[in-house]
Amino acid sequence: MARPAFSTQPSRAGRRLRRAILVAFLVVVAVVLVLPLTLTQQAADANLDPTTLGIDFAMNKSIVRTETTIAMFVALAAAWNLIGGLTGYAAFGNVAFFGLGAYTVGYLTDKLHLSFALALPLAPVVAAAFAGLIGLPLLRLRGHYFAIATLGTGIAVGEVIKNLDVFGGATGLFPPILRHADALFFYLMAANAGLAVLVTWLVLRSRFGYGLIAIRENEEAASVLGVNTTAYKVGAFALAAALTGLAGGIFAQWASFIDQESVFPIQYNVEMILMAIIGGAGTLFGPVAGAIVLEWLILELAGGGASAVYAQIGLGLLLAVTVIFVPRGVVDFFGGSSRLTLGYLRRTLRETSV
Amino acid sequence: MTGVLELESVTKRFGGVAALTDVSFSVGEGEILGLIGPNGAGKTTLLNCISGVYRLDAGKISLQGRRIDGLPPHQVARLGIGRTFQVVKPFASMTVRENAAVGALFGSAQAHMAPKAAFAWADEVLEMVGLAPKARLTVGSLTIPDRKRLEVARALATKPRLLLLDEVMAGLNPVEVDEALEMVRRVHAGGITIVLIEHVMRVVVGVCDRVIVLHMGQFLAEGTPDEVLQDRRVVEAYLGEKYAARRHG
Repeated sequence: MARPAFSTQPSRAGRRLRRAILVAFLVVVAVVLVLPLTLTQQAADANLDPTTLGIDFAMNKSIVRTETTIAMFVALAAAWNLIGGLTGYAAFGNVAFFGLGAYTVGYLTDKLHLSFALALPLAPVVAAAFAGLIGLPLLRLRGHYFAIATLGTGIAVGEVIKNLDVFGGATGLFPPILRHADALFFYLMAANAGLAVLVTWLVLRSRFGYGLIAIRENEEAASVLGVNTTAYKVGAFALAAALTGLAGGIFAQWASFIDQESVFPIQYNVEMILMAIIGGAGTLFGPVAGAIVLEWLILELAGGGASAVYAQIGLGLLLAVTVIFVPRGVVDFFGGSSRLTLGYLRRTLRETSV
Repeated sequence: MTGVLELESVTKRFGGVAALTDVSFSVGEGEILGLIGPNGAGKTTLLNCISGVYRLDAGKISLQGRRIDGLPPHQVARLGIGRTFQVVKPFASMTVRENAAVGALFGSAQAHMAPKAAFAWADEVLEMVGLAPKARLTVGSLTIPDRKRLEVARALATKPRLLLLDEVMAGLNPVEVDEALEMVRRVHAGGITIVLIEHVMRVVVGVCDRVIVLHMGQFLAEGTPDEVLQDRRVVEAYLGEKYAARRHG
C-alpha cells in the first residue's frame, strides 16, 4: 500500500522542541553517569564509619545497582538489534552468549585464578566463536524455524554447562569478590552499552549494514546483487554474540556467583527482544530507549508479591499495543520523519491489520 | 564462435519434473538475445540456473571460459552477471536511491564501491533508467513500471557485463513499453550484453538480434526474430495461428 511521502522538514516549533528534548536527554545522561561515582563514594565512606551505616547506604547501593542493570540490558537489546533488527533474523537464544561470556570469566577467575582484567576480554571471543559455529547451520533456517532453533540452543547450552563438573556443576562458580567496585561495574556495563550503540552506528553507515538490511528486506535479491549472505548473517550473529558475551562476563564478576539459573535465564531472551521492538527494531536508539524504559518498569513494578503479576500483564499489554499501533517502535513515533498524530496510529493500524 | 556465456546440456529437475532438459546455446559479446516460449517453458528456471540461484542437475555454464555453475549467487554477481526478477523484489524499507546503491556497494568486481562512490554511481544509474526524480522516495510509493525500472537500475548498478532481464515489460502499457525499449537500447549502447525474457513480441522484434525458443524445458528453435516468428513449430507451440495470420494478413 502506498504511503504518503512524509515531510522531512520539521516545523520551527518542532525543531525547537526536538532541541529541548536533546538537551534534557544529555543532562539526564550526565547525571546518570556521574551519580554512581558520588553515591558509591558515600557508600564507601559510610562503610568505614559503622555509625552512619543506614538507610542512605542501602538506598545508594540500590540506585547504582538499578543503573548497572539497565546499562546491561541496553547492551543486550542493542546487540540483539544487530541480528534481529537489522538482519531480520529473530534470534531467541542470545542468552546463550550471555551465559557463555559469564562462564568464561567465572571459569578463568575461579578455577584458573586469572585476574578479572585478563579474563574479561576472552568472554566476547568465546561467545562470538560459538555464534559462528552454530550460526553456519542455524542461519540457513528462516522465520519461526530459526527462532525455535536458537531458543533450543539457548536452553541446551545452559543445561550442558550445568552438567559439567569442570564448570562447577549445579553449584556454580565463584569469581573472587571485588570490594567497593559498584561504580566500576556500572561504568563497565555503561561502556559496553556505549560500545554496542557505537558498533550499530558504524554498521548502519557501512557496506556491511546495507548488506544486512538488504538481507532482511529480500535475501534472494541481496544475493544476486553480490551480497555474501552467509558470511554477512554469521558476521552479524557473531558481533551480537560478542557484545552479549561481554555483558555476561562483566555480570559474572559483578555478581561474584554464577550458576545456570542466574546467567541462562530464558526470560532475558524475551526481554531483550521486547526492548528492541518496543523501542524500534533496526533503529540506532530504539533498543536503547526500549531497554531503559522497560527494564526500569520491570525493576520498579516487579519488586515482588502482587505487583509482579501486574508487571507481567502490563508488559504483555505494552507489547501488543506496540506491535499493533507503533510497529516501527517508539523512536519512529516520537522522532524521525513522522509526526505525533492520531493519523500516524491510524495508518500503522491499517498496515498491521490483515 | 565462443560467446560471453556458454550453456552446455543444462538440465534441471524438480523432483520428477524436468524443468530444463539438455539446453545448450551461447550468447555473443554485445548481443541482445531474446528468450521466449510459453508459460512453464523453463525460461525463468534457466535464468535462475545462470545466476546461481539453482544448482544444475547436469550440464555446464561458463562465463568467458570460466565455469560458473555451482557458484553461489553472490560470486556469479561478482563475476559480472546482473539480473532482475520477474516478480519484483525491492528492499521495501529503503529509498529508491539506497536500493540502487546496494547494487553498487556489492555487485561485480568493477562495482563494489565505497559508500560515497556507490551513491554517486547509483544516482547516475537512476538517471539512465529515468528514476532520478524519485530517488528519495521509498519503494512503497512507486508505480509498477517504476518498480520494474528499479529492478533494472539495481542490476545495472552492479556494473555487469551480462544483464539478464526477466519480463521487465510485462504489465506495461504501450507508452511505457516504448520507454522501456528506449531504456534497454541505452543500456545496450553502454556496452552490456543482454539476455531478455519477454512475452511482448513487439519488444522481441524491436530490440533482439537473435531469439531462442524454449518449449517444455527443451530447446525448440533459434534464429533472428523474423525467422523464429515464422517457424511452424514456434507458431504451433507458442504464438498460435491467430498471431501468424495477423502477421501475414
